[in-house]
Amino acid sequence: MIDVSRQNIAGKHGNFCNNALFFWSMNVDDGKARRFLLKDKGERIKEKVGRKKRFIFLLLALLAACGGVKNDSATSSSVSQVPMRVVTDDLGRTVTVPVKITRAVSLAPSLTENIFAVGAGDRLVGVTTFCNYPEAAKSIAKIGDTMNPNMESIVALKPDVVFVSTASQIEAFTKTLEANGIAVYVTNPKDLEGLFENLTNLGRLFGTESAADILVTQLRDRSNKCFIPVRAPQRVFVQISKEPLFTIGRGAFVTELVKTAGGISVTADVESAYPKISKETASALDPEVIILSESDDNKEPNEVFNNSPAVKKGRVFKINADLLSRPGPRLVDALDQIAKDLHPEKFK
Amino acid sequence: MALTQRSQRTQRNRAVWLGGALLLLLVVVLLGAAMLGAERLPILDLSEQQWSILYDIRVPRILLGACVGASLAVAGAGLQSLLRNPLAEPYLLGVSNGAALGTMVAFVFFQSLEITRPLLAFAGAGLATIAVYRMVKNRTGMNVERLVLSGVIVTTFLSSVIVMLTTLLDAAKLRSFTFWLLGDLSQATRNGVYLSLGAVVIGTIILMSQARALNLMMVGERDAFDFGVEVGRVRMMVFGASSLVVGAAVAASGSVGYVGLIVPHLVRLTVGSDNRLVVPFSAIAGAIFVVFADTIARTAIAPRELPVGAVTALIGAPMFIYLLRRN
Repeated sequence: MIDVSRQNIAGKHGNFCNNALFFWSMNVDDGKARRFLLKDKGERIKEKVGRKKRFIFLLLALLAACGGVKNDSATSSSVSQVPMRVVTDDLGRTVTVPVKITRAVSLAPSLTENIFAVGAGDRLVGVTTFCNYPEAAKSIAKIGDTMNPNMESIVALKPDVVFVSTASQIEAFTKTLEANGIAVYVTNPKDLEGLFENLTNLGRLFGTESAADILVTQLRDRSNKCFIPVRAPQRVFVQISKEPLFTIGRGAFVTELVKTAGGISVTADVESAYPKISKETASALDPEVIILSESDDNKEPNEVFNNSPAVKKGRVFKINADLLSRPGPRLVDALDQIAKDLHPEKFK
Repeated sequence: MALTQRSQRTQRNRAVWLGGALLLLLVVVLLGAAMLGAERLPILDLSEQQWSILYDIRVPRILLGACVGASLAVAGAGLQSLLRNPLAEPYLLGVSNGAALGTMVAFVFFQSLEITRPLLAFAGAGLATIAVYRMVKNRTGMNVERLVLSGVIVTTFLSSVIVMLTTLLDAAKLRSFTFWLLGDLSQATRNGVYLSLGAVVIGTIILMSQARALNLMMVGERDAFDFGVEVGRVRMMVFGASSLVVGAAVAASGSVGYVGLIVPHLVRLTVGSDNRLVVPFSAIAGAIFVVFADTIARTAIAPRELPVGAVTALIGAPMFIYLLRRN
């Protein structure tokens, strides 16, 4: 750890002046530090360089020499580099990130939630306009939405690493970012277990392992309590949008959640994660339970379900769309709600 | 004299035969469409639920498809004669996009009022038609390049406004909207069918009432004027009727492309360019085309669905190129 910090001094902030600013900036909040570093850097350096030119040069040379030696033995990279490490993301790509990630950008609401959940929310310097949870995420700089992030804003934020989810179809931008020397870490959790793994990985990346481990243990406990083994699972239709009729298919998280909670999604075998399903088929599926992913235009079941047992028996439940659609820690809240909706008797 | 009379009579006989054949084909296609779908329904002995699938979901959708197809085809036939250009088509001229923008404005700003959708679609279609017409018309008359260029400009302009408006939508709405924009008949309701049916009947009657004048105008507006055609009135009627039918069709199903281009074209190849035949035959053939395309859209990847506009484009574009090369 001592090595790391010394390399940091010699590396990322290549001269003494910047080092001073860096240490000072650790004591102020991130926004202030950023403004200071970006706007006032030039002026301040000019002032000081003029006066103490020689002294700085001397020190710089010394530090560089020190750092150089250390670097050679440790990572064999050049003097002007931050200590790096190589990690593997969910797509199996090798990604080189700084040992200590201080500036991260998230390009998906679920990732923002996850990074906050593992206790690294303060390292986020950019998020999408969709990132509305937790409250603190709202005040972080917005870099566009998940589908159309603004490359210039991202590069200007000088992040160490940009987190993307494959769901955001962001692969196209990866090249631009990597060309700018910004690491891109792709996450692709496919189920609850994948989510837990993702949280653990994020903890490891940000150096907040203990917080992540505690969180994962809690989430695992809670999701285990929602595991309801049954002989005849209830037949559930999850309505993502009423008109046109979108539902969940194979490859959607919710399909697994419903199964865990003692139900079975009647569209579990339909290809693709969020298919638009034919109303004829939906009607013929005759669900016993309907779960609405609650949003402004999805507050009641589609008319084709008017004669289904679900509507007749009033077994229509609403779950906030953000909970259902984001592979974040709140997915366990959704699971909890589904389990209670399907099997209220087990939760008395 | 006797010779022309005989040839007129044989022509009329031919038209009656063709009309009968088209109607028969329409009935066959409608019945076939009613029998095919994501769910396999036994022809006889339907359970209550199967009956409901057939009657509440499939039949309204087929009827709406027929209305939409007829609407777009008659609008295409009318606009083509009026603008004396085989490329005039609601979709390519930006009329469909005008209606789409109108619908979208209703969708984004007046969500609760059901009736605003067709009304604003009609207004949008009308404005787009007028815009294209103003751009096309100059002292020397219209030419093909001008028409196509104006259509493209209006279409892209309206598309960009639509895209800008989509940024106001959240992700879930965006998905449904994209589907609708490509032409999607899955939202068929009884009321939608009544509305489209009313619009297409009125629109077709208006266009047929102008058929004689349109025939004269195909020679040239100047000559038609000399023959005593009230050119301005005819233009108003045709634009109004086209906007009405396209507005109703787009409000119900989004913009289904190529119908207004291909169908009147094929009809003209078969029956000649007399608008008294082209307009009603286009209506029937348009209905057949869209119902056929939608049957593919409903069944190709069942239980999932394709947007019907994608299918009409898939059939329509190659057909168009083929016709273009043959002529």
